[in-house]
Amino acid sequence: MKHVKPRDKSPLTWTAVTILLLSSVFAALWVPLYARSGPKLGAFPFFYWYQLLLVPVIAIASWLSYLMLRPSSRRQTPGAPAPDADEEELR
Amino acid sequence: MTHVNAVSLVILIGFFALVTAIGFGAVRWRQAESLMNLNEWGLGGRGFGTFVTWFLLGGDLFTAYTFIAVPALVYVSGALGFFAVSYTAMVFPIAFAFAPRLWSVAKAHNYVTPADFVRGRYGSRGLSVAVAVTGILATMPYVALQLVGIQAVLTVVGLGGSSSSAILRDLPLLVAFAVLAAYTFVSGIRAPALIAFVKDTLIYLMIIVAILYLPARLGGWSHIFSVASAHMATTSPATGKPVGSFITMPSGEWAYGTLALGSALALFMYPHAVTGVLAAKRRIVIRRNMAALPAYSLMLGLVALLGYMALASRAVTANVAANGKNAQLAVPFLFRDLFPSWFAGVGYSAIVIGALVPAAIMSIAAANLFTRNVYMEFIDPDATPAQQARIAQVASLFVKAGALVFVFALPRTFSINLQLLGGIWILQTFPAIVVGLYTRWFHRWALVIGWAVAMIYGTVEAYRVPVAGQPGSHFGGSTASVLGHTVYIAITALVINLVISVALTIAFRAAGVADGIDETMPSHYTADPTEAGLIGRLAQPARVK
Repeated sequence: MKHVKPRDKSPLTWTAVTILLLSSVFAALWVPLYARSGPKLGAFPFFYWYQLLLVPVIAIASWLSYLMLRPSSRRQTPGAPAPDADEEELR
Repeated sequence: MTHVNAVSLVILIGFFALVTAIGFGAVRWRQAESLMNLNEWGLGGRGFGTFVTWFLLGGDLFTAYTFIAVPALVYVSGALGFFAVSYTAMVFPIAFAFAPRLWSVAKAHNYVTPADFVRGRYGSRGLSVAVAVTGILATMPYVALQLVGIQAVLTVVGLGGSSSSAILRDLPLLVAFAVLAAYTFVSGIRAPALIAFVKDTLIYLMIIVAILYLPARLGGWSHIFSVASAHMATTSPATGKPVGSFITMPSGEWAYGTLALGSALALFMYPHAVTGVLAAKRRIVIRRNMAALPAYSLMLGLVALLGYMALASRAVTANVAANGKNAQLAVPFLFRDLFPSWFAGVGYSAIVIGALVPAAIMSIAAANLFTRNVYMEFIDPDATPAQQARIAQVASLFVKAGALVFVFALPRTFSINLQLLGGIWILQTFPAIVVGLYTRWFHRWALVIGWAVAMIYGTVEAYRVPVAGQPGSHFGGSTASVLGHTVYIAITALVINLVISVALTIAFRAAGVADGIDETMPSHYTADPTEAGLIGRLAQPARVK
């Protein structure tokens, strides 16, 4: 049995994750930010391309948050997910 | 009306037969010693890794709402329908924050449902049953939405819809539903988890082809957007106002933002979403998925644009108008009129299977709620695991029957309202569940009363909304005017709920009203146990005054 302590992260990490997640939600929630037609991207008015582009941007922010909060108790392989864990979980 | 296209129909029936075989065969997948307990039937043994969980949650959360209801709203109202993109953009960062805590505490204490957690956290049967009943109630219109989606496809394919006999008209839908009920009954959550692979393959294939192929056939994106823009500015004869808006107007920003926020906060309160989360094997699987699930949100955004593509095709708009202006038919007609018939068949299959998978998971999750938090709580507390699984199997049938009532009783002008109505109800469990994951500050009875008032307020407000152009009708929309702004009723009700809960918590504490016992400990919310129920056995529950 493995016990992982997710709370062993520095306050700096938690602050960074909080800012990433809150700004993600704000960027989608604050309608006046994007309720406009220009500038266009190709044929797409701003209102449409902003929201479509926001989705992958938020995914990247969430992925960064995940990387920062990844449990650090097991073998460290910086930049790559721990292979032993993935093999087990991908099944 | 519509004629039957043999090629499309054969492909649709072929895929339906395939997923039916998979659904019944799923009983052998990851075979357990016995399926007859809720951990196996209802949660697949809590053994799903990152990959399966991604398909399961994606298959579970992106439903006929995505493929039929959202493009229908875009088709009719324009920019407003895009609130769903904003909603699905913000929902995963929100769940990223609290879903791992829910998974950990549920794993530690072997909770199967959100109401189990509330029972353990607050030591309150009343609050637990309130959460359970809300979950079951809110799930029914959501399942109903799946039926409306399937029905839209069947109508366009030429099955049912045109017959004068009510029984013949709805027979294909009822048959599809009965088959779904049968393999859900047998295989439990393994069936939709396995079918989700077929579903998502078809969905991604369908949307990639649609986005690459259809704009060229419709005169390009510039033409599609200019037709939409011109159409939304025309005056509606029923209301005397523009039919919609192409870019959200300042007056529509509150509705847009609150619909998105309310839907996002509500999504992971739904029992089927919680089921998808709890079926994961490890805590880390949850966060990894919250970062990977936006792939589906992007797909939803592209599907929403199908509403504008349908608007740009004269053939599609003529067909929708000829079928009682039923906007739910816009996407199926778009497929029928612009795709070769074999690929239209693939697109129909994607929509139908895309509705069957969530309908199965929703009914399983609601059945878990009934069994654990109503039946065992009030009728037979000593039910054996096998009896629990049997009760849940039967309850899953009743949930589907309840959904049929919503299909036939509520106006179907905008199927999205079925989901928004469910959202009004389910969001009222947010204080007990999500706030409860962080703090035990709220008094249990304050939460019960806040919930009850908000439920009544939300239901009455939704009842009072007429269908556009039909004064005196009911349940026609999900927004109401508050302080000069148009706001999603779920958000107003949640604010009322929170205000009452805070005020009464202070009052009850001052009066010394007994609060329940909290069986969880702070470490349970961050733990990553690999064995279910371990913490519950090792540590003594904390006592709260």
